[in-house]
Amino acid sequence: MSVILMSMLIGLGVALFGFTLQTTIGGINRKVVGRMQKRYGPKWYQEFLDIFKALSKRAISHGWIYDFGVIMAVGGITATAMFMPITDSLVAFAGYDNFFIFVYLLAVGMLGMAMSASGSGNPLASIGVMRALTQMLAYEVPFMVVVITIIKVSGTSSLTGIMEFQQANGWFALSLPIGFGVAFLSLLGMLGKKPFETYIAPSEIASGPMVEYGGKQLGLLFVMHEIATFIEVSLFVHLFLGGASNIIEFLAKYFIVYTVANLISNLNGRFKIDQVVVFFYKWPLALAVLQAIWVLWR
Amino acid sequence: MREIKLFLGPQHPGMHGNTSVHMYVEGDIIKKSYLLPGMLHRGFEKGMEQRTWINNIALIPRICVVEPDINEMVFAMGVETLAGIEVPERAHYIRMIILELARISIHLMAYGGIGGPTGHYTLMYHAQADRNRILEIFEKITGHRIYHQYIVPGGVRKDLPVGIEDEINEFLDDLASRYLEIRDLGIENPTIRKRLVDHILLPSEVVWELGVTGVGMRSATNKPYDLRKVLPYARYDQIDFEVPMADYSDAECRVDLKLQEVVQCIGIIKQCLAKMPEGPVRAKMDGNALKFRVPKGQVYAAVESSRGEFGYYIVSDGGTKPYRVAVRGASFPQGLLGVEKYLPGTRLDDAALWFDTMGVCSPEIDR
Repeated sequence: MSVILMSMLIGLGVALFGFTLQTTIGGINRKVVGRMQKRYGPKWYQEFLDIFKALSKRAISHGWIYDFGVIMAVGGITATAMFMPITDSLVAFAGYDNFFIFVYLLAVGMLGMAMSASGSGNPLASIGVMRALTQMLAYEVPFMVVVITIIKVSGTSSLTGIMEFQQANGWFALSLPIGFGVAFLSLLGMLGKKPFETYIAPSEIASGPMVEYGGKQLGLLFVMHEIATFIEVSLFVHLFLGGASNIIEFLAKYFIVYTVANLISNLNGRFKIDQVVVFFYKWPLALAVLQAIWVLWR
Repeated sequence: MREIKLFLGPQHPGMHGNTSVHMYVEGDIIKKSYLLPGMLHRGFEKGMEQRTWINNIALIPRICVVEPDINEMVFAMGVETLAGIEVPERAHYIRMIILELARISIHLMAYGGIGGPTGHYTLMYHAQADRNRILEIFEKITGHRIYHQYIVPGGVRKDLPVGIEDEINEFLDDLASRYLEIRDLGIENPTIRKRLVDHILLPSEVVWELGVTGVGMRSATNKPYDLRKVLPYARYDQIDFEVPMADYSDAECRVDLKLQEVVQCIGIIKQCLAKMPEGPVRAKMDGNALKFRVPKGQVYAAVESSRGEFGYYIVSDGGTKPYRVAVRGASFPQGLLGVEKYLPGTRLDDAALWFDTMGVCSPEIDR
């Protein structure tokens, strides 16, 4: 009993760590992007201020589905983060860091947000949700092909197992470079970075799912977004960059992956949703399948 | 599929100005749309009838916020024609410098403007940074960044400040040296090209039907219809420049033409700086300015704005105020009529881009 309790506490600690890490790095990146765009950019802790300000404001409700969906989103994402290993030895639920757990649990949070946004009654939110789900279908197919290839090569779907395999045999970023490239594109899609920012698209659908949010609900969704970003970037680090054997290594790899994604995002425009689907089902999927065939044949 | 009504503006990140477009969409396709003007209506035309000729100089720049100088120019041209005022030679060249700097400024703004609808904010900030340097030059010349009130009947309000020629030349050289870099960031960027090439077409039939002029017309019809060439004003007839044109008007073509025009503007300004003679910058006009009277008559004065033909039809009854002024807004045809007839059929994703690449300036519609 005490082991489960301890695991849960460590898991909550991981989620809190993930939130703090991503919010800090997100803030630093706002500064980096500001300089890139000939601006000063806000202070590195601006994201914290935004979240605390939103959480301190009054909440207006659009019905219980709207409220419940937000709680479900934050709960689902926090639960997912609890299973995420930070290093090969720092994992809250040892033996339960299976890749597919993240696939399933991430969907709970995302569906919570989709439900809440649809409950707001704003058509722009519904369009945004529809676009988000369509985009998810687009980037997940090539991404899953790449990850299944990795599972086949490493012989395990445990993230710590995949990390240990890479530490013994080299990073998958080097041994499976095509998959690395395809997965990085999928990561951009997961993070909603340009050119795959279609479901936010402020100038088209006024931020889509987020359009009706304000106050505490918006603050909670900011929290959810930061933790979801932590999960997605950490997954990429563990799957392709050999994970980490200590926290400094993890922080360095995390920072590099997120910053590169952010810089690419800010040098590109946004695709339309049909262009996103065609893009992912064309070259990334074909390359991912070719690589999988090559690995199986080898 | 259910039809949903959506609003683009007046409070919307994709809207270019204080106006609203009501759109009925099925899925992502716009089925019906119309413009709802009136949100910026300050009664410019009526207001001009109630102000003296000289007081109007402060009102008219507001008809197009981003490119106010064209208003000053057409108003001055109209008054000068009616009153028979001879503008000094140096003033003509200064006016051309101001108008071409304004043209670069608005083309940069429109180019950066595609960063908004496509999410490429880096492009927007870089274009605005360059535009800001033009505004700084304007501030030194006129004392104002946006509404200059510098081109007045009889010439310009005051001479150029000492040393401004060097600053203008330095800016133009810098801009020209970064031309390819500016293109790479935006129009040559593959993700931006995906949004522009073969999107938001403007066929030549539509140009003739609506009365579109400017870049829209030149990009669709391959005709060099530019008032600076066909009906020269100031001293454009003494300046060597080309009119970029094309025969297939998609969004990419129109943006490309604007960038090509920037190159031409640089050449025009450099020629003006080289050819500009010394001398007075304003015709001598005796008497109390507030009692200035314009002889009875009517005139249509027009200039080539960044969006096309921009003109004032001015009627004077010989009094101290205009009897009637009607404004031909360059983006009026595509902004008001085009939205209703030709925005439908495009996708929701393209609506904001449609406005930007068609060059719609909403105050020109609300006047």
